[in-house]
Amino acid sequence: MTITWEQVLAFLSEDQTMTITSLLFLAFFAATALIHYALPRIARPYFLLAASYAFFCYDPANRPLVWVLLGATLVTWLCGLIIGRIKSKPVRIIALLVAIAGGIGVLIYYKYWNLLADSLGGSWLSHRDNLLAPLGLSYFTFAALSYTIDVYKRRCRVGTNPFHYALFVSFFPTLINGPIERYPQLRPQIQKSRRFSYNRCAGGAFRMLWGYTKKMVLADNLSHYVSLVYGDSSSMSGPNLVAATVLFAIQLYMDFSGCCDIALGAARILGYDLIENFHAPFESRSFGEFWRRWHISMTGWFRDYVYFSLGGSRCAPWRHYLNIVIVFLCSGLWHGADWRYLVWGLACGLISAFGAMTAKPRRSLERFNPLYRAKWFKSLWQIVCTNILFCFTLVFFASALYNTDPFAIYGDMLQGWQGLAGSWHQVTSLIYDSGIDGRLPVVLLFGCFVVFAVEHYSQNVAAWIRKQVWPLRWTLYYAAACAILFFAAFGQSAFIYQQY
Amino acid sequence: MSAKSPTPIPAPPVKIQRGAPTATPVRPRKKKRRNPLIWFLQGLVRRLYFGLKTGIKFLFLVPILVFMVAFSYNVDRSGLFQGALAPRRIVDLMLEGYDVTNFEQMDERQVVQLYAQDVPDAPEAIGIGSSRVLQFNRENTGVDSFFNMGVTGADVRDNMTSYYKMVSYGKTPKVLLWSLDPWVFYGSEAAFDSRADADLYNEFLTKVLNVPTDYEEPDKVELWRALADPAYFQGNVDYYVKNHGQATVTDDEGNTIEFNPVEGDPYNQTTTIKRSDGSVLYDVAFRSQSADQIRTLAAEACMSFNSVHMEGFDAMSDTQMQAFDSFIKYAQSQGTTVILVLSPWHPYLYGYLLTEPDKHKGFFQVENWVRQYAADNNIPLYGSYDPECIEGLQETDFFDGLHCSGTGIERFFPGIPQVLQDLENGTLPDPLAVQPRTSLETEAPSEEDGEAAEETESESTAESDTETTTQEG
Repeated sequence: MTITWEQVLAFLSEDQTMTITSLLFLAFFAATALIHYALPRIARPYFLLAASYAFFCYDPANRPLVWVLLGATLVTWLCGLIIGRIKSKPVRIIALLVAIAGGIGVLIYYKYWNLLADSLGGSWLSHRDNLLAPLGLSYFTFAALSYTIDVYKRRCRVGTNPFHYALFVSFFPTLINGPIERYPQLRPQIQKSRRFSYNRCAGGAFRMLWGYTKKMVLADNLSHYVSLVYGDSSSMSGPNLVAATVLFAIQLYMDFSGCCDIALGAARILGYDLIENFHAPFESRSFGEFWRRWHISMTGWFRDYVYFSLGGSRCAPWRHYLNIVIVFLCSGLWHGADWRYLVWGLACGLISAFGAMTAKPRRSLERFNPLYRAKWFKSLWQIVCTNILFCFTLVFFASALYNTDPFAIYGDMLQGWQGLAGSWHQVTSLIYDSGIDGRLPVVLLFGCFVVFAVEHYSQNVAAWIRKQVWPLRWTLYYAAACAILFFAAFGQSAFIYQQY
Repeated sequence: MSAKSPTPIPAPPVKIQRGAPTATPVRPRKKKRRNPLIWFLQGLVRRLYFGLKTGIKFLFLVPILVFMVAFSYNVDRSGLFQGALAPRRIVDLMLEGYDVTNFEQMDERQVVQLYAQDVPDAPEAIGIGSSRVLQFNRENTGVDSFFNMGVTGADVRDNMTSYYKMVSYGKTPKVLLWSLDPWVFYGSEAAFDSRADADLYNEFLTKVLNVPTDYEEPDKVELWRALADPAYFQGNVDYYVKNHGQATVTDDEGNTIEFNPVEGDPYNQTTTIKRSDGSVLYDVAFRSQSADQIRTLAAEACMSFNSVHMEGFDAMSDTQMQAFDSFIKYAQSQGTTVILVLSPWHPYLYGYLLTEPDKHKGFFQVENWVRQYAADNNIPLYGSYDPECIEGLQETDFFDGLHCSGTGIERFFPGIPQVLQDLENGTLPDPLAVQPRTSLETEAPSEEDGEAAEETESESTAESDTETTTQEG
């Protein structure tokens, strides 16, 4: 029996979307990496650029939108060239404004059009059905804008090679979920492609495996319960809503950081180091610290280009707090054209501003708290409080995702409590009903523990694994692969942050 | 003083000439010129080395994939590779030597196909045919590794594909015992059973007999996908964990599979069972009927005789005769000795058929044609549709009008070893020596009814010798 290429392709491409968790993506990535290293180093960026556009265009729905990616790249590169080469300030400002207007215009057109149309009542703008945004719109637009602003602020040299710049904007591992890259970070790596390093490659592969485990074993299984509760939140009791909110926080982390691990691992195999997007956020001891550890590339972007531009903390206190709120509002809006994201951003901003406002008095009062003399208790208490606050705000986020009323959920959270044992029974029985039965709760608990423990000791899992002795290393390789094989929830490949 | 001083005398300062002109002017370093061929070869070797190293390390993870594929293939809860769970359970039990309960609920065709797939070694002899062959077993064939592949209601497609399956799995039997039913030679759709595997038959026709059909090679992509699908693997793990070591097993949807090993004396069962050799053992009550009860069943079968794949059977089909001939030659080309058997019908039933030969023209043509064919091709042929042609055959040698019992078989079939010996010695009975009745010599009275037919039949039986000699094939 002969196997034809058509059969192989049919086997690989079950559907027409190349999601990061699909077999097709793995085959695509393996072929890309193989060709990448077979080519001379000078040709590699050009090949990766072609591969990135092929990745973008694989989904037929994205093909007509490729001009958005192309246009964003071309406009920002040309504007950057003008800003960098021409000394006349008005011209530089105009070029900067054109780039920013272009970037934001594209975002508004593809992402916020309907929100604006609905807000304006349809008299100015008409609602557009089936509005489809290009893949990774928020990520590549922000990356391109950061370049132009950096060139304007003389923090970055002009990229003279448009193909290198185009690769920076469209680099396929970052296209789906980020991280939002900066040109000064990626430019030297593109200009001088790294030689093949087995250690880097093995570390990258493990990081991908780590990401797949977090996404497919932990996040996707947790989503069974969370979606069951939030999908029918009006009939859920308080204990289930609280448990689902807490588990949603973990699911969101595993999902998003898992995808970032895959992207970072893939880039590492190809010889590129990307920005770390998470740094054990659940170990944060304040709300502000939490946001310095969560989605670092996005919060860093808003900090550098919005917060500092507004004056940051070097201004009147009220202005400082307002700046914090504005930044979080922007962050909420970035997540989606939905008022619930906006309120979520507002809530986070207010809590952060309140934290900044009360930082000094709280530090003064700490010495009078006898419990704080035990450092471990102090840390634990602060960590617990921070995470409770985060989960509290996350109700808006989850409500936007599952299209429910967040205020009703807050109200329902207080209903249906039947003591500790009764509430626990409600939660466990619904967990079993959601399909998480048998060994899975134990696996999820143990899996989360392992992930948090490993990430506590090392931010960069790829580098960490290479320092371990080979028996432990291979045990972890096999454990991760077996965990995926036995416990991953297949067929739920979409990432939560993919839609942003 | 200076010698005794604890403080060491400082050495005189040495002037360092900073920025002094060097003896020779600094020349820019020349870039080494590399031989492009060596540079290319170095790059190639480096790539090959690291490629191999990486590839070998990745190979260490292959056992996980191999395990996944092997596990999915063997457990196979959806029956994509191993067949459906219930037939697999039956075949497993039969291969372990158990008789299996609940025969009426079995999908016999799947059981036969699975048996062909799973039996480790080719049986020495197999039997094919409809339920009328299912009384052939290891005892009356005299072969320990005999397996009866007959299925209830088998049409020509079932017969041929059962043997073809064995051949396609490389388990060609040495002897093929074919209990020929008359509808094998009927070309109408009515001769076909809806339960037969038409696709498999088309495959057989296309691949083996080179007869063009609408057969298309099945798409294997779906199967590969299932093998490489971790979700299918997980389903198999769940199924295995739930059913491993359990007395009763469940199907894919969690329903209990009611096929279990026969407990106690197999000859004393209240339900029909499938023996480990593929034959069928009817329940005690059915096997212990009196001659009158059997005759009543035979009488009931008279009116519905044609409905058993022979509605409108007026003449033998040329196509079916050619297919039959091709199949026999195909089996012989595989090194299989074909033995043909004509299982008798109950005397009452056969007598009734003789009273209305116009309604059974095709049926009455079959035996004589088969006899001629067997004689022409030196193929062993035993038995006869006409019970009169079998010496000593009693009404009690039947279960009903259609099915001859083991005792009846023993009256006309000497056993496979004897047949083979006769074949080798050239002492096979002459097929043309037996001439079955195909009509009554004298017209039956017009007012003949069931009871009258019985009387007529007994009369005609007495005169059978003279009648049979006058029949033409």
